[in-house]
Amino acid sequence: MSGVRIGVDIGGTFTDLVAIAADGTVTTHKTASTPQDYGEGIIAGLRALVADRAATVTDVLHATTVGSNTVLEGKGAKTALITTKGFRDILEIRDLRMPVLYDIGWTKPRALVERRLRLEVIEKLRPDGSVSIPLDRDSMAPVLAMLRSENVASVAICLLHSYANAAHEQAVAAMVREALPDVAISVSSEILPEIKEYPRTSTTVINAYVQPVVRAYITALDARLRALGIEAPLQLMQSNGGLASAEFAAHSPAHIIESGPAAGVVGAAALARRLNEPRLITFDMGGTTAKAGLVENSEVLRSEAIEVGGGVMAGSRLLVGAGYMLKLPAIDLAEVGAGGGSICRLDAAGAPKVGPQSAGAEPGPVCYGRGGTAPTITDCNLVLGYLDPGGLVGGGMRLDLDAARAAVDRDLAGPLKCSVEEAAHGMLRLAAATMMRAIRAVSVERGRDPRQFAMLAFGGNGPLFAAGIAGELGIRRVIVPPLPGVFSAFGLLVADAEHHARQSIRARLGNADPARITAILEDLAAAGQDRLQRDGFPPERQVFQRAASARYAGQSSEIEVALPDGIVAPNQIADLFAAEHERTYGFRAPANEPVELMGLSVMARGLPETPRLPAAIPPFAQQVPAMRRAWFPHDGWVETPVTDRAGLSGMRHGPLIVQEYDATCLVPRGVTVELDPFGNIRLEQA
Amino acid sequence: MHDAITEELFRNAISAIGDEMVLTIYRTAYSGVLKNIMDYSAALCDGQGRLVAQGLSLPGHLCSIPVALQAVLKAYGDDVAEGDIFINNDPYDGGMHLPDIFIFKPLFAEGKVIAYAATICHHTDVGGRVPGSNASDSLEIYAEGLRIPPLKLYEKGRPNPTLFRMIERNVRLPGRVFGDIRSQLAACEIAARGMADLVGRYGADGVRSLMVAMMDYSERLTRQCLLELPDGEATFTDWIDDDQIDVGVPIPLVCTIRKRGDTMEVDWTGSAPQVKGSINNTLSYTAAMSFTAVKSVLSVNMPNNDGVFRPIKVIAPPGTITHGKLPAACAARGLTGFRGVDCAFGALAKLYPDRVFASSDGGNTGLTIGGYDKELNPFIYVDFISGAWGGRPWADGLDGNTCMFANMASFSVEVIEAENPLEVLDYEFVPDTGGAGKFRGGMSQRKTWRMLADEGVLQVRADRQTHRPYGLYGGGPGAPGLNVMNPGTASETKLHAKITMTLRKGEVFRHELPGAGAWGPALERDLALVARDLRDGLVTIEAAARDYGVVASGDPPAIDESATEVLRARLKAERPPLPDVAWEPAA
Repeated sequence: MSGVRIGVDIGGTFTDLVAIAADGTVTTHKTASTPQDYGEGIIAGLRALVADRAATVTDVLHATTVGSNTVLEGKGAKTALITTKGFRDILEIRDLRMPVLYDIGWTKPRALVERRLRLEVIEKLRPDGSVSIPLDRDSMAPVLAMLRSENVASVAICLLHSYANAAHEQAVAAMVREALPDVAISVSSEILPEIKEYPRTSTTVINAYVQPVVRAYITALDARLRALGIEAPLQLMQSNGGLASAEFAAHSPAHIIESGPAAGVVGAAALARRLNEPRLITFDMGGTTAKAGLVENSEVLRSEAIEVGGGVMAGSRLLVGAGYMLKLPAIDLAEVGAGGGSICRLDAAGAPKVGPQSAGAEPGPVCYGRGGTAPTITDCNLVLGYLDPGGLVGGGMRLDLDAARAAVDRDLAGPLKCSVEEAAHGMLRLAAATMMRAIRAVSVERGRDPRQFAMLAFGGNGPLFAAGIAGELGIRRVIVPPLPGVFSAFGLLVADAEHHARQSIRARLGNADPARITAILEDLAAAGQDRLQRDGFPPERQVFQRAASARYAGQSSEIEVALPDGIVAPNQIADLFAAEHERTYGFRAPANEPVELMGLSVMARGLPETPRLPAAIPPFAQQVPAMRRAWFPHDGWVETPVTDRAGLSGMRHGPLIVQEYDATCLVPRGVTVELDPFGNIRLEQA
Repeated sequence: MHDAITEELFRNAISAIGDEMVLTIYRTAYSGVLKNIMDYSAALCDGQGRLVAQGLSLPGHLCSIPVALQAVLKAYGDDVAEGDIFINNDPYDGGMHLPDIFIFKPLFAEGKVIAYAATICHHTDVGGRVPGSNASDSLEIYAEGLRIPPLKLYEKGRPNPTLFRMIERNVRLPGRVFGDIRSQLAACEIAARGMADLVGRYGADGVRSLMVAMMDYSERLTRQCLLELPDGEATFTDWIDDDQIDVGVPIPLVCTIRKRGDTMEVDWTGSAPQVKGSINNTLSYTAAMSFTAVKSVLSVNMPNNDGVFRPIKVIAPPGTITHGKLPAACAARGLTGFRGVDCAFGALAKLYPDRVFASSDGGNTGLTIGGYDKELNPFIYVDFISGAWGGRPWADGLDGNTCMFANMASFSVEVIEAENPLEVLDYEFVPDTGGAGKFRGGMSQRKTWRMLADEGVLQVRADRQTHRPYGLYGGGPGAPGLNVMNPGTASETKLHAKITMTLRKGEVFRHELPGAGAWGPALERDLALVARDLRDGLVTIEAAARDYGVVASGDPPAIDESATEVLRARLKAERPPLPDVAWEPAA
């Protein structure tokens, strides 16, 4: 297979496209997103990138925010929910918790299905799947009548204990399908066959709510690709970092809700393999937020649930309830409200604060000259000489240094009684501290010591802060990949097709039946095999990774451990679990404490025919000034060399600024920098 | 002196340690009370035992940690060595109620104590006469379980075997209790690592002075917020229905708030003498409920530490329900805490009407069903049901949201059924239970259980069956709470709010939370909001006419606007307006 592969990443502000030709040539295109119709921006980008060679395109890989935006903006389909009688309010009662304390103004996100359309059917199962109340088919009559009279477009079905026995849900689905063949149906036992009714209901409802919208989006985009002359199939990035076919994504859109942020981490994992850096902390900083993720053994780490629209974490990931619960594996990312546009201010007691308020793209930082008056992180970077007043995006936009200085002086330096430079630098340190919390959340809170990791920094602002943050955390090495500003789109190009299947069980490992464990793992693998087959992967290009979740009996949180190939003995799982528990939390329970197996999962991965990562990406040459005055603590103003990436030859010492089209990398004193054979910038703490 | 940037960096770092402690407990705890309900807290205190940083957790624990730590320091003085771990749960020596076990670890720098890691967890059982150690009808502390005075659980790193054996023999589920204690110890270990990093960065003296600066910062913010508020004094009385012993005898809580300049007094003088039942507060718990209400009307959410406590004085005379004396029982004092918050909010509403909501559901209902299965293995199911928020001066009260005093999660119905010999029959909103008003109160929730084991003990701590959640400024009160045995059958029996009784196989118990109070007159409610409630089935057509003067019919109900105008005019003329604080709905 030789042809052009294209990654398309839609963000809130920009749509990024990256194309890799068969000979390894990379071309990129950045265009403003078109929120009324995202497809328009994509097609415009594709036209610019591959208009003359559409027929040679072999892959179109896409990360999109259409799923999360549909939820955030409340623009999903008219959706109904069918529940066990007596339990229709589970969706709205949620788990009761709120993300704020001492705040009378707190408002819950509105349920995605209004109460009138939360419909009940008479039936009930027991936890073991046996029937307590048989399904009363007559009780479906008013349900179907309501679906009809309210013109419902999509239906979620979530009955109690359906994870143990799907028969009632299947029967209800069949009745809906028969009565209303055009209505989309989402069944909880298919989407999330796991105990706990609230996460299962919420996840199923999200799927139902976005499904018609996502399907329409994918269908339209697909048609436009064909019209451009592109014959390659459209594939979408899932929240878990794997690629899925357009058909799967349209049927189970709950899996692609957090598609966008996942791609960058997937790209990081691919780089980790290429660079033989098995442990990486990813640091992705853009205009409004910064995100941290973890790559270990060259694999991304996943979390078992996310909150859609939960916003950035306010210091702790315990603060739940701000968004919509989606309990599907997603790449574990911690996000904090610190980006280039974050506003710097003093609070009522005169303490300096950064974010989470952001000036956004409009009015933007003071230096953009678009009416912003509050100093931002970008203004501070400009004041200190780290950014080129000559402009961002290759000079496409001039920055107003005097206005930025005046704002920092007025709002910060004056009240803090310090110099403008000290104030600006202090704000950058605070922003760095906020971002370090995100990094700690994915590392320290999981028992990982960041000092044993390298950092991969990308996003428009990541490379500016990376060296400083790495120094604070004791991380010795920072890698800035080529095209840091469009690295997420690049990540799409190196992702694999992945399908995750999980089965909830409950068994004490002491007396668990090894044959049952083997049988479940085989069933799960067979399901993955089947899906990969349908995606077009022959058996020799399929790999499987198995895992078990366990806990000490009586404990309420589970830990997932990877399982070796072959037959796995229950006590082997118990040992793996105890070791991981000790690693994460610093202790293990006495050996006689029973360990409970809670779930088994299999990840099925389809491998590409040829390596997806190009051997090297030649940097774009660019005109940059040779020197610039920049301010550093202890040294003050220093004439600092400025170079582009192509101009980095041999090992250089900071202070130094590497200025590129879409990002600027700051190399402070005490840090060395060089280009590796793959075109990555490598920073090392001396 | 440190510069402002350094101080902010330090606040960020030490708050992160507090949150990491909380997260560690969350992830390693054994009991559902901790994991699902999050009835625990973690904090760092300075070497003198003052609260510096509290992780995000339960408001009800806000003031308890320094008090418990002071009791430890009083008992041990200078006898504090590296590797010591202190334990304490005695309400009459720094504790709150017996299930709340405190664990403290002194952290050292350069051979001297620099800080204490502090954790408090509500344990599933600490012995005593009923499973869960939570009964509301115990008469003395001695019936409530094992009292652990300030003691060393570990001495210089070695466990105290006597104490471990004593605990093991006196609690029903020692495996779970020790599992949760391990998780508290793990959180303290996380704090030790974090503090060592801070000392490495700022030096021991630097950390000490930065901790002082952090407390001063919270004090400054608190005083500034208080200055924003007009001065004044107001008194409010709220009621607990009874204490389950003196049945039907209401118990008054009286709160006077005096706001002057940058200080405030919260004075509980006038509240009832301590009661026989187990709902007596410690002073620290009364302080927690006072601060929860006051913090909710301040414009800034400052870090919780000693600095917040300085400008706000809490007064609670000893020998009253707000400050019990030995041997007052206190296991179920959560109820008094909830009512205290309602009462303090009432006083604040008189002073600052635009900042305070009407009464919420009255706090969560505590419910325990425990017993033994056929093999005599014990089971204990502890659940807390909440919550409906009072109507706000600008918006409706929330339906199905935890109460302000306890940010607790609900228990999964499927997990309840999988882990206990119980079947849950329903869990849903009850229409027409939220107080009627311009901004209505939140709706009650109903939850119903069927017993599947041969027998067990049912305990319920509920309230607001006779004294409903009050409405404010023309808004009506919420519906009273309800406990029923075998609803909808010939043997249906309405039960008291507080229950300790045997539950036998096949028996069905139903609880309905009170609805919350409303804010503003119901006849002024926006028709679009009434229409939405009608469509949602949260307000019935009958109640719309009776309470809101809204005429509607059909399915979905459609409002007849001209008929509504007529009805509203008539009701307005006929019906006397509700008082500023309404305990009963319009006649």
